[in-house]
Amino acid sequence: MKKIGFTTSIPVEIIYAAGQVPVDLNNLFINSSRALFMLDLAEEAGYPRNTCGWIKGLYTAALETDIQGVIAVMQGDCSNTQALMETLQMQGREIIPFAYPYDRDPEMLRLYVEKLMAYFSVNWDQVLQAKKDLDQIRQHCRELDRLTWQENVVTGAENHYFLVSSSDFLGQPQTYEQEIKACIQMAREREPNLDEVRLAYMGVPPIFTNLYESIEAMGARIVYNEVQHQFSMPHSSDHILDQYLAYTYPYGAFARLKDILPELEKRNVDGIIHYTQTFCFRQIEDIIYRSHIKKPFLTLEGDKPGKVDARTRMRLESFVNMLKMRGKGR
Amino acid sequence: MLGIDLGSRTVKIVLMKNREIMACSLYDTIRFYRQFSRSSRGKLQLDFNGLNLDPETEMVATGYGKIAVTIAGAQKIPEIQAHAFGALFQSRCENFTLLDIGGQDTKVIQVQKGDIVDFATNDRCAAGSGRYLENMASVLEINWEQLSSYDQNPVELNATCAIFGETELIARIVEGHPTSHLAAGVNYAVFKRVAPLLKKLYSDTIILSGGGALNPALVRMIREETGCQVLPIKEPRLNGAIGCCVWGQGWK
Repeated sequence: MKKIGFTTSIPVEIIYAAGQVPVDLNNLFINSSRALFMLDLAEEAGYPRNTCGWIKGLYTAALETDIQGVIAVMQGDCSNTQALMETLQMQGREIIPFAYPYDRDPEMLRLYVEKLMAYFSVNWDQVLQAKKDLDQIRQHCRELDRLTWQENVVTGAENHYFLVSSSDFLGQPQTYEQEIKACIQMAREREPNLDEVRLAYMGVPPIFTNLYESIEAMGARIVYNEVQHQFSMPHSSDHILDQYLAYTYPYGAFARLKDILPELEKRNVDGIIHYTQTFCFRQIEDIIYRSHIKKPFLTLEGDKPGKVDARTRMRLESFVNMLKMRGKGR
Repeated sequence: MLGIDLGSRTVKIVLMKNREIMACSLYDTIRFYRQFSRSSRGKLQLDFNGLNLDPETEMVATGYGKIAVTIAGAQKIPEIQAHAFGALFQSRCENFTLLDIGGQDTKVIQVQKGDIVDFATNDRCAAGSGRYLENMASVLEINWEQLSSYDQNPVELNATCAIFGETELIARIVEGHPTSHLAAGVNYAVFKRVAPLLKKLYSDTIILSGGGALNPALVRMIREETGCQVLPIKEPRLNGAIGCCVWGQGWK
């Protein structure tokens, strides 16, 4: 089976319908033990130091993996993607462009989806069948997420891992399903976590490798992973087009806020961690989130893959500590 | 109760008893690690004899090295808490914004009714910190006291990087500005860097701590530009170490 790389969540149903294997290059990069070295390789190739670490990681990941082509999300994600694709093209990689319309126009989205379907020579029946198959697995994602915030038996790290991996289901939906079912079963036998502090994590997945563990060691737990939650397509819909219109991540800060605000209430969080990547345009959007979210808010910034640095740890500890003191005052 | 603040440039140690400072000392950080401590089983063992301290005294520590360096026998608290507790204790004030300008970083902490409600720290580098002020003083060939006395007619400086700031300052020297205006420009550059944080975490009372508090020109600029009351505290450099004692004794 051929492997197809992609730069951020795309209608993965189309690739499965074509009998090919989707590979989320982000997961490939960050789960590699050579992640930091992969970044160095991109810099050696000429990527500037002051560019996003994820883009550099994706560049090396796309070159080192035996993929047939890369689906590039040219609108609705990061504008660096264009140069990433051009430099990959220069190295002989096949580029398959995809886009989420900025104004969430259903007709435009249909065109982009159908264009992708044409590229993979699949029809609507095949795609909808693939969606049906994946939706069964997505049910487990919903249950795992519910066990995280409602039953309090799933850790922030487990929630992150399974939801972030639902962008490509690890390229092996059956294995993914077995893994998530095993985790759910194990979690159900646990005593509920009596969280001193409940946190929400919003923003792109962290480049830090031990963020969740570090936070839990401080006596706090992440009960909401915003973007990862979106990757798991939490809003059930019969049609793939509705599904990717309900998906908030590519449609900007205001679309995301409509999803975030009720989730924060529902999950009863004490504070928010907004993660942004160094040099990312989303650092500007922090202004919007801060002004709309009326809860204690900590913005974290990460540059290169690795453990949480001393300064970030100090800020996290202070934030968690501040929330603990507030809790006592109530 | 011993409070230890392991700063990036200096280590501050304060001994307190019955709410009084009994003794205090400041050490150069590098010298402190080399001369008065050794690492054993991942923890820092202090040379109590050399430091002239009683090993039986309770200890609370904070500081940048807090994670890399765990002092054997000491409790540790985050820096933000240590500085807020220190300021609460020293100022007897319950509503304020604390601005701590340290050797290599700057912290702004908003305190309301005695509780921390928000905080911010500077960007990832030492720009606009004590190190910047020191380096610029040496470029101008003046000492800290001289640098800290000028606040009139500041020349415009945009870079507050402790390294690149030098290039910009040299360019201004070449233009022929007098030292007093250049020094005022350096102080004003630091103010401009913290101004957005002071605005974001606003209180009508500002407390200054860290080495930056010992810069009267900067204090005047903050007072004039923000219109806020700038409250002095007795021991700005020892504030974090005092906060450790306050936390340890529950004196807040």
